[in-house]
Amino acid sequence: MDFSFQVISHNFPYLVSAARWTILISFLGMLVGLLLGIGICAARLSHHGWLRRAAALYISFFRGVPLLVQLLAFFYILPYAGVNLPATVAAFLSIGMCSAAYNAEILRGSLQAISPGQREAADALGIPPLALWRRILVPQALRIGLPSHINELILLVKVSSLASVVGIGELTRVAQNITGQTYRPLEIYMATAVIYFVINALIAWGGRRLERRLGVGQR
Amino acid sequence: MTENSSSPANALITARGLGKHYGTFQALSGIDLDILKSEVTCLIGPSGSGKSTLLRCLNFLEAYDEGEVRIDGQLVGWQDGKASPRKPVSATKLREQRRQVGMVFQQFNLWPHMTAAQNVAEALVQVKGLSKAEARDKAILALARVNLRDKADNHPSALSGGQQQRVAIARAIAMEPRVVLFDEPTSALDPELVGEVLNVMRDLAADGMTMVVVTHEMGFAAHVANRVAFLDHGKLVACVPPDEIFRQDPADPRIRSFLQTYRERNVV
Repeated sequence: MDFSFQVISHNFPYLVSAARWTILISFLGMLVGLLLGIGICAARLSHHGWLRRAAALYISFFRGVPLLVQLLAFFYILPYAGVNLPATVAAFLSIGMCSAAYNAEILRGSLQAISPGQREAADALGIPPLALWRRILVPQALRIGLPSHINELILLVKVSSLASVVGIGELTRVAQNITGQTYRPLEIYMATAVIYFVINALIAWGGRRLERRLGVGQR
Repeated sequence: MTENSSSPANALITARGLGKHYGTFQALSGIDLDILKSEVTCLIGPSGSGKSTLLRCLNFLEAYDEGEVRIDGQLVGWQDGKASPRKPVSATKLREQRRQVGMVFQQFNLWPHMTAAQNVAEALVQVKGLSKAEARDKAILALARVNLRDKADNHPSALSGGQQQRVAIARAIAMEPRVVLFDEPTSALDPELVGEVLNVMRDLAADGMTMVVVTHEMGFAAHVANRVAFLDHGKLVACVPPDEIFRQDPADPRIRSFLQTYRERNVV
């Protein structure tokens, strides 16, 4: 079979259009994962034993069960509980909840890198805990952990291909469909791989720029 | 202890029978100390003598185990009463108590992601509830007091150690505390930067700020302090005017041998 650039150029618009879903699901998943991750990390470090245990349980569950299984469970089991979510929402929520477990642990590591003196300074000034977290600890932890969070986002872009199993027309799903119609797996999957690669290269580039702007590593 | 527990009328902080232990190690015991308004009290003594622990008990950064610390008669950190064991005050109450007490740390402890002005303004917004603009104006004034008006928009990483410590002092005084605690404020500084920080502290003292200073700068203790407290092995050996400590032959042998090490070192 000859390699045909025409197959690629003909189907490229469909793949790019599908890549928008890939980006949407992974970025929304990351947003959910970060916000929820902050909460879970806070719970993990709480004074209350039950909160700490709940957070530890959450983390071990979402890190311990394959995301594919979580996605399927989210999509097929929730309706029994009377919750009917559109497939895309189920997908980014599910990816976000899984990512929250990883982001929470990245944050926990970053928080431990902040000198205890900074917390003490806030305590001595009488700064309340919420402001301490919101204004002093979290902004710094996100900076310290930025390379790891970027890493996580790149993983999510790739992992979003799993959403194809619940019928979302993201990049991998559409590539499968086109392949089924054209019988041209080589060209289509190669083009698909390039698109994933470009998305992640852009994220990595943006991450490095952000690191430089925020002065990560030169504290 | 109960016999001499009456304190001078102008005492801002009174410690009575103060004790603190870590496991079996007794870091402080039986400390009776009065911090008088508008006075500079220097805490000196060999390393490990409990100076910093004593200072940190005054704003309950360390929870003392025995005795009491009172600021204006109000017990700090523990609920007042006969309950045993004592219960700590609520977090809100503790924050309220700490608002009256500024603190300056050996390692400055500035927040590196904020500019100098933001470091100073933060607590004014979060604790005193000022608007951002008001807080910034106040922060600039406080920075001007430590001669750093022109560094307001620099991040700590762009400042020298001495400048960082002055920002930390501005951060403490901007809250208008009734007393500022200094925990070895110049110990982390290169020798040539010590002077600028001590000068700022001298100005504060001249303005009538009540200050408690843990220091190894004997010159500062001798010339700026109203009283010098000497600690050894967790006990207060003396709390007297500096002349009585720094004269040629101090009465207590522990003070004599401590100062001897300084005199030997300073003979070039």
